[in-house]
Amino acid sequence: MPNDCERTRRAIDAFWVDGVDSGPVDGHLAECSACAEFARRTESAILAARAVSVQVPRDLAFRTQFRVSLRAQEMRGHTWGWALWVSLALSWAVGIASAPLVWRGLEWIGRNTGLPEVGVRLAFGLWWAAPAAIAAGLWAFDKRRIEEEER
Amino acid sequence: MTWFSGVAAGDRTALAARLRQRDPELLELLIQQYEYRLYRYLMCLCGNPTLADDLFQETWMRVLDRGSQYRADASFEAWLFTIARHLVIDFQRRKRWETLDDAAEEFTAASAPSAFDEVARRERESEVHGAMERLPAVQREVLLLRFQEDLPLDEIAAVVGAPLPTVKARLYRALATLRGELGGAHA
Repeated sequence: MPNDCERTRRAIDAFWVDGVDSGPVDGHLAECSACAEFARRTESAILAARAVSVQVPRDLAFRTQFRVSLRAQEMRGHTWGWALWVSLALSWAVGIASAPLVWRGLEWIGRNTGLPEVGVRLAFGLWWAAPAAIAAGLWAFDKRRIEEEER
Repeated sequence: MTWFSGVAAGDRTALAARLRQRDPELLELLIQQYEYRLYRYLMCLCGNPTLADDLFQETWMRVLDRGSQYRADASFEAWLFTIARHLVIDFQRRKRWETLDDAAEEFTAASAPSAFDEVARRERESEVHGAMERLPAVQREVLLLRFQEDLPLDEIAAVVGAPLPTVKARLYRALATLRGELGGAHA
């Protein structure tokens, strides 16, 4: 094959594949019918490949959206559940570790303010139960929110 | 509804953030927007409409699960097609397909003519389908990504997990084969 033909055909392929303009080929294409046919067939092949179509199944996007939405809801609930349990565990651990200090502190407040012992015990009980009560409240609130979203 | 079509760099950052948050509105939009393109890509790889349907859904489940892995410096299309491709490969390994071309007959059957007034178009399309199916799977894939998805070569290389020269070589060979198969029938 003459060099001009080889160079022209490489340029045509490079144009389509790489998007590279390797220089003018029109001059050679005007003179060489074989290369002109090569260019036409190349363009035809690419246009045909581009035109290949498929029939998308009915409601594919809808079914997929529904399934993804369900999964996303499960994941949100799962994440929140773990965060809740971890915070509860930390809360209990901190509470147990600090309980003697808190009790001594409340006793000191009771002695200096005249607060009766029952008040000291009540204050200690509230301090002990408050984190769990807050966490339970948050959990119930979030559960209600999710239920309202689902409705 | 084409905000994410050809997403610019700044938009990709927003896209990545919303994928990390598993934004339901975003996912709905993306599923709808990429429905045809992703399904077409899966059909190109596996050739089975039922399987492509299943893998389409699984692809988006993975997008949901792994949204935090999308990097804003990469094309979303390339990431999406890479996920789909990996799912096809996983399926092939489970089913022990030797090549993707085992499903070629089913793909051709799905494209058979179905309406009298579309016979000519269907026949031509069937001829193109047949020519594409006779290509090795790896060549068919890069042909689709280049000329149907219009992905740049570097993104195609990222999707198929091959070096850039390999991708180019496959494209040149695919083009040469297709040119010979289709001949002068599509003036």
